[in-house]
Amino acid sequence: MNPAAGFAALAAVCAATVLIGIYGLRISRTTGDFYVASRTVPPWWNASAIGGEYLSAASFLGVAGLILVSGLHGLWFPIGYTAGYLMLLLFVAAPLRRSGAYTVPDFAAARLDSRPARLVTSAVVVVVGWLYIVPQLHGAALTVRITTGLPGWAGAAAVVLVVVCSVVTGGMRSITFVQAFQFWLKLTALAVPLFFILLALGSGSRPVDTGGAFLPGAGPLPVYGTISLLVALLFGTLGLPHVLVRFYTNPNGPAARRTTVIVLGLLSVFYLFPTVYGVLGRVHTADLAAAGQADATVLLLPGRVVGGMAGDLLTALVTAGAFAAFLSTTSGLVVSLAGVVSQDLFRGSVKGFRRAAVLSALVPLAVALSTDSLALAGSVGTVFAFTASTICPLLLLGIWWRGLTDAGAITGMLAGALLSGGAILLAAVFGTGLGPFRELLEQPAAWSVPAAFLVTIAVSRATAPRRPASVSRMMARLHAPERT
Amino acid sequence: MNPDLPGAGRNGRTPGGPAAGPERVRVTGPRARGTLSPGRFTVSHELDEQSEVGELFIRSLIRSQLRLALVVAGGFGAIVLGVLLLVLFFPGSYGVTVWTVPLPWLLLGLGIYPVLLACAGLYNRAAARNERRFRELVSEPER
Repeated sequence: MNPAAGFAALAAVCAATVLIGIYGLRISRTTGDFYVASRTVPPWWNASAIGGEYLSAASFLGVAGLILVSGLHGLWFPIGYTAGYLMLLLFVAAPLRRSGAYTVPDFAAARLDSRPARLVTSAVVVVVGWLYIVPQLHGAALTVRITTGLPGWAGAAAVVLVVVCSVVTGGMRSITFVQAFQFWLKLTALAVPLFFILLALGSGSRPVDTGGAFLPGAGPLPVYGTISLLVALLFGTLGLPHVLVRFYTNPNGPAARRTTVIVLGLLSVFYLFPTVYGVLGRVHTADLAAAGQADATVLLLPGRVVGGMAGDLLTALVTAGAFAAFLSTTSGLVVSLAGVVSQDLFRGSVKGFRRAAVLSALVPLAVALSTDSLALAGSVGTVFAFTASTICPLLLLGIWWRGLTDAGAITGMLAGALLSGGAILLAAVFGTGLGPFRELLEQPAAWSVPAAFLVTIAVSRATAPRRPASVSRMMARLHAPERT
Repeated sequence: MNPDLPGAGRNGRTPGGPAAGPERVRVTGPRARGTLSPGRFTVSHELDEQSEVGELFIRSLIRSQLRLALVVAGGFGAIVLGVLLLVLFFPGSYGVTVWTVPLPWLLLGLGIYPVLLACAGLYNRAAARNERRFRELVSEPER
């Protein structure tokens, strides 16, 4: 493909992001604006922003790559990513908005009336955020390498640079603009090339499906793997820090619920596109799977099918969409991490927020540059397992169960972190040497999430006298509807 | 002080939320939600008085919302489990095709999403109904 088109696409997306960020700066004034856009964003706008922030490298590139490699079973990823929002709607959205906290640690502190619980939650949130940023930077490295021929680190560094600039100057308010824009950019960047691809396939009498696209995958049935993956994705989404912080930008509880329903609709439409790319990729870019470059399916398919000048333009559009995905998810994570870090380390000032933003972006950059890319959807899946085992029990039990104590929440989070984190590390280090246990350790969510819940409940029961005195008031605050 | 905004206003401004100053109006959008300030007037503040009746109302609201959420989640979970079992253990379902696309691909790639949206829409209406009932119950005696 033509590197000039790739460069132009990257430059355009970065420029648009920075420009919208500067526009946002002009109307972002108070500390409230900086952290959560003063909670005045209307549902449609907020939903687009949530979609823009959530659709990461794993969704834009990873889903198609996964379908290319593992066929039908790859379809469970977008289902889990979307259904996670249903769980968020059912159990978390409105009460969390009413809690009035800025971040998950704020929620823990308010609900449990405990400083240690707040600190442990902060530490977990920071780990989750960093783990989640790393695959975004790997995706950026892959995209830059394939579309421009530059070394991969340039892509990761560019993402971090643009994100830090836009976050430091505008905070959450401009991020909301940027992310809403980037959702629609991502959708367009997949939909328009797909239209031309199908047109070219239709008119050129080339087969859309040679029969091989839909064959069931070989090998044993991944029963445990699929169930564990679904547990991780369903319960991991509601603990993701960058998703949660978005809900505070809703004006009230019912608006938070409405926003979530709109997000579900937007995601349902969006995931049709990577799915079709994956299916077409099984016919037209099948060689990428063997080359270990399955994640490049979305980037290469337009050029392979359409070709020529038109192919270059379409590739440039897809590249722009991919870069929007890395930028928006990374900036969302950096905003939420900076919110957490600055409240605990820098006492919540705007200056502290800026410092924390730089810190939150540089650490994962260092990790990304010193590690190699795995399959994008897979590595994001392990982050979901970790989140589901740590933050999810705190949120669900904190919102719905009066009996939760700070000791229970802390031991539950630590147990979940040790179990899921340890299992994933073991699987990564020993790999095939683990035999039949490998699958159990690679996808720990099916057992580590229930274990974390059990530990949390058991310790809370044993330390029942530590229940905060404010629990009745807090429950009323979380669940009583706003008056209008 | 507005307890809905912990940590806000550290730069010296009052945490007035959306209604803080004239410049806020510009960004609230056409729906002008900025005129209602949640949190400041919530029922929960009346219930801060901790009357036993209020506590009872809140407990029953929480119970009904939790039951609703569990029912919707359970229903969706059952549907997903059904599709999962069909896909994994009935290879014959690959023989059923629409426009050359086999049934399992249609179900997983397309069919689950409308179910998801229907669950979300139903839940949203039912949750709002629960809250409306609660509001009627709580606000009646004082108006």
